[in-house]
Amino acid sequence: MLTCLKLMNKLNCKLLCWLGLITFNSLAQDNHSAEPFKIHGFVAQGVIDVDGSNFVNNDGEISLELTEIGLNTSYKFADDFRFAAQAVYLNGGNRYNEGLRVDYFLMDWNAYSSEKWQANLFVGRIKNTHWLHSSTRDIPFARPSIILPQVVYFDGFRDIAVGGDGAALKLTYNNDKYGEFDFNFSRSKSSINSRDAEVILSKLAQGNIEHNLDSQASVYWRPVFSQWKFGLTLLDSEFNYDGETLDFFVDGNFVFQFYTFNAVYEGEKWGFTSELLQTRFLTEGFYTPQFNQDNLGQGGSFQTTYKVNQKLTLIGRYEKFYSDKGDKNGYRLEERNFGMVPNYFGFQNDTMIGLSYNFADNVRVNAEYHWMAGAARLNPIVLPNPTVNNKEKWNMWAVQLMYWF
Amino acid sequence: MYFARHTNNYALLINKDLVINQILFRLMVLVMLFGSPVTHAVDVITNISADTASITTTQLRRIYSMRQVKWANGVPITIFVLSSTNTTHQKFCKETLRLFPYQLDRIWNKLTFSGMGVAPTIVSSEKELIKAVKSTTGAIGYIENIDEVSDVNLLKIDE
Repeated sequence: MLTCLKLMNKLNCKLLCWLGLITFNSLAQDNHSAEPFKIHGFVAQGVIDVDGSNFVNNDGEISLELTEIGLNTSYKFADDFRFAAQAVYLNGGNRYNEGLRVDYFLMDWNAYSSEKWQANLFVGRIKNTHWLHSSTRDIPFARPSIILPQVVYFDGFRDIAVGGDGAALKLTYNNDKYGEFDFNFSRSKSSINSRDAEVILSKLAQGNIEHNLDSQASVYWRPVFSQWKFGLTLLDSEFNYDGETLDFFVDGNFVFQFYTFNAVYEGEKWGFTSELLQTRFLTEGFYTPQFNQDNLGQGGSFQTTYKVNQKLTLIGRYEKFYSDKGDKNGYRLEERNFGMVPNYFGFQNDTMIGLSYNFADNVRVNAEYHWMAGAARLNPIVLPNPTVNNKEKWNMWAVQLMYWF
Repeated sequence: MYFARHTNNYALLINKDLVINQILFRLMVLVMLFGSPVTHAVDVITNISADTASITTTQLRRIYSMRQVKWANGVPITIFVLSSTNTTHQKFCKETLRLFPYQLDRIWNKLTFSGMGVAPTIVSSEKELIKAVKSTTGAIGYIENIDEVSDVNLLKIDE
């Protein structure tokens, strides 16, 4: 009975999203004017099959848990002031929580504007625009593949990494000799509910986890008339876990720092993208009161795309990640856990090929196949599950159809 | 003596080369004047309120990649474009902006779906685009068939 009710709730939620989207789509059709009120949206449904891990589900069956629906609006109420908001419904199985969320809800103030400089201040619930794909990670047609490189865009951290409540400053500078420069800085915090905590910390965690105000910064540079763009991003965040009296875990503190360097080449036929990262993950307490671990993880992804014609694009990518640069093969991790956690939980590599085909201006299908090795980017991240994830090598394929307006 | 004679021959050769170069240059100028004119295939138009007669390619890139949102006189810029599969749009991107249409799509999608900005308004035809530019303060657009236009600024594009 309970399962039946849950299923009905899920269906109602999806149905409401679809109805809302159809209504707003018809409104948006009349929106091709310079009116200050804009509406945009998207809907994507896919099929995904993971063989050998709990990335999407625990039973290994083919799954429809690849749904993304979004609706956003922007209202310019004065020359320099604008309001913008976006709500999304996501269902990705074990990757993140299924349900509706408000992605951003912000006020944009264009504080300064000249031919060379622009300064904007955003206040409210802001989206993370620092990493290459962080602001479009849930926008099916605006990202390069269905599954993004987990080395940077780890789905378990999606709701924390996608943005938060706070403020962001964006400065752009254009120089006719040296090119285009973007400087971004933000401070925000995400509210983590019990369902989010369950995804990251497992069902055994009974306490509350709190995200303290984090700091993020990024710089991007595109030389004059160049097809290349380069970026550098920094993140410093801290989380506190407040354990319950009857809890598997004790009070703890996590520090998560994240630095990336990226390069993008955008040619007529060929495209190239690379993101390199280093992470610092400090854990104090949580497992036992005296526990202390300070790991430096490293990784990167290399991606190439080839546009066969206006409709068809091919993509290939390789990514590599290890959570401790002093233990790239995870043997020390296995030893520390008395063999209970296999060494392949210390790394995760992915080789991917795929394609995208545009049926129309706003209808596309994406398809891809992944050869995976390792389990370092599988939920729950702090309590590895070797019972389900009992293979070092696992595979995955996905096909997703999308429409946007 | 030997050196002087050879130097004179060398000077004659250089003079001959110069004469040939001058003839070639004049021919080139004639071809440029009376042959097919080297202009931008797509023209850029603005609303009269934009109050500008010329624009550089880098400035156009800034405007279309939403990095400049106001004209020099402080009037906010409103951009009208054709769909990314339209041939005029593709010509404008490649030949005038020296960008590929998908690069602009990426920039606009990122702004639209992160809440950080507003993408240009897409219109369905050049006629609709001209009408929108005429009637919207600070508007900018591009067209291929310039004969049909009046009451807008036709911008000269400087490199």
